Amino acid sequence: MKYRSQNIAYWYFTIALLLFALQVVVGLWLAFSYSFTVPQWIVDKFSFATARAMHTNLLVLWMLLGFMGGTYYIVPEETKSEIYSSKLAWIQLVALVATGVAALVGFVFGWTQGRPLLEIPRPLDIVVVVGALIFLFNVGMTMYKAKRWTAIQGTLLGGLVFLALLYLFGIPFYKNEVIDWYYWWWVIHLWVEGAWELVTAAIFAFVLMKLTGVDRQVVEKWLYVEIGLFLFTGIVGTGHHYYWIGAPKYWLWFGGIFSALEPLPILLMLIDTMQHVKQRRTEIKNPLTWTIAIGCAVMHMIGAGVWGFMHTLPQINYYTHGSQVTVSHGHLAFFGAYALLNIMVFYYAMPKIKGIEVYDPSRGKVAFWTMSTAMMLMGLSFGIAGVVQSYIERVLGMGYMAAQSYMRLWLGVTFFLGIFFFVGVLIMVTDLLTLRPARRRA
Amino acid sequence: MTLSQGKALFIWGTVISAVLFLGLTWDTHRQVEALSHVDKLSDDVVEGKRAFEKYNCNDCHTILGFGAYYAPDLTKVVQRIGEDGIRFRVTNPEKAFAASWRKMPNQKVSVAEIDDLIAFFTWVGNVENGDWPPQDSKKRLSRGEERMVAGTGLSAGAAVFQSRGCMNCHSLQGTGGSFGSALDAIGRKLKREQIERYVRNPKAVNPKALMPAQKDLSDKELEEVARFLANLK
Repeated sequence: MKYRSQNIAYWYFTIALLLFALQVVVGLWLAFSYSFTVPQWIVDKFSFATARAMHTNLLVLWMLLGFMGGTYYIVPEETKSEIYSSKLAWIQLVALVATGVAALVGFVFGWTQGRPLLEIPRPLDIVVVVGALIFLFNVGMTMYKAKRWTAIQGTLLGGLVFLALLYLFGIPFYKNEVIDWYYWWWVIHLWVEGAWELVTAAIFAFVLMKLTGVDRQVVEKWLYVEIGLFLFTGIVGTGHHYYWIGAPKYWLWFGGIFSALEPLPILLMLIDTMQHVKQRRTEIKNPLTWTIAIGCAVMHMIGAGVWGFMHTLPQINYYTHGSQVTVSHGHLAFFGAYALLNIMVFYYAMPKIKGIEVYDPSRGKVAFWTMSTAMMLMGLSFGIAGVVQSYIERVLGMGYMAAQSYMRLWLGVTFFLGIFFFVGVLIMVTDLLTLRPARRRA
Repeated sequence: MTLSQGKALFIWGTVISAVLFLGLTWDTHRQVEALSHVDKLSDDVVEGKRAFEKYNCNDCHTILGFGAYYAPDLTKVVQRIGEDGIRFRVTNPEKAFAASWRKMPNQKVSVAEIDDLIAFFTWVGNVENGDWPPQDSKKRLSRGEERMVAGTGLSAGAAVFQSRGCMNCHSLQGTGGSFGSALDAIGRKLKREQIERYVRNPKAVNPKALMPAQKDLSDKELEEVARFLANLK
């Protein structure tokens, strides 16, 4: 660590980690509810819907805190200057966490906007927007004052501005359900397959460059190509959500073709990661950070690329849309693309902030492999449940609960695997919060 | 590839996709008017949508395929279980799902709100959305129905029973819904003609019946399914 203001990132990361653990606890409850009977009196007080709102909002909150912390860590090094105002960064952190806590408690008492993933009530949305504006102002001013522009910081800032703008489309009440879903996807899809990919690509490029010592020119060239392809395929690719909502038929073509191309930039990212590793000019000090970076590229490809490709072909999607296949894709893609990216940043930056040059990777290694294996298997068990559901409910037309009874076993398996995943998360959180220097080789 | 070529690819890729997307968005707005029947989007429908959001229904159910996957899709719910079916389930979920291993919360939804919800679901059910979801499609024979009829030893009546949504509520050998009665031995109680009359209009036989009248079944389908059920003894 070279700049004092990079310290702020540590607190963003710490809170993100705790929220991640909480998200997984709620996730276990959801998986339990799928295969075991939750009695009526509990359901009346704490419904699946409430828990689900918590699970998804915790996901968004911890990942955004991770991105923001990552930005506060990276921007000083890219601009070669301190953050414009550490105070603002603190205020923003407190505002966001307070909003998150208020929202989570509110859900339990039925205070909700009632739209999946956008449950945060509208008055709180205003606080979120103010928080985002403070963040963008702070980061923007840092870059402006430093008068040093790099493609990495440009992409990062662009992605963050895009992310904040899109959030606005999720705030109004839409009278028409069709139009409602149309713009709902501007938030959800254009986030995860647009703005978040920009932020990810920038952070990933930064970490790769630092770890490998490969020329900035080369890293930035690939960064441009990747984000160009992400946006080219991802923007019109939004259409794969418009197949069955009452939008015009041409979305089957536009959505189908553009989203079939969406794996390309991810594949490119995987290839150029591998190449940079081969052409590295610095020695590998912390091999675990490496393992996570490559794991991120591979899981991103499987979860978002391969699963996404299969699921968005209209002919398949007619039967799998809104089934556990979606859930399988969601879990693998979020874990691969965004959870592992954040974890990579945590393992890159947290030791540096603590002044540890080479950290002891033994616990982190166990955590990484436990989480990745458990999540891959969860993706498969959700996937099997999804295929069973698509066949029994949609192809055979035997009814929702008939399908659910055949899926029960596989959702039970998912719950069991979820416990392993949770153990992995606990090990990782403990490890990151109590990092130790590696013992010197004798 | 050079850095400046990379930059050009980024700029042109983004601009082309964004322009195309915004153009299609404009056209979609134009066409959705007709596809979603905006002329029928009354105040009741809008109030129903508000109630749908107020009770966070969408974090268990899907609608148009989006939401959570813990409970059945509601796009064609009116067509599938009828207005009374919705009313009974929302008002008394503890009774409706007493025998089910998955429960629905009683959220004390008011009578007026339920009427609005029904207006909302009726409107959504008429959106022209490419005949989705497949399980509620009236246009196509399901794969299962085709195969069963093609002669895997299953009678036409059994094929109708499996593919026309009967199992959303009724069960055979423990497979199917628990909302209606299990029909494993229905033939001991009712004759074919009685079953036909009941299925066509349950309320005419028993005013307290919750089962919706099956208006979509053809006479032939009704006869076959009744023959099948009457033989279950």
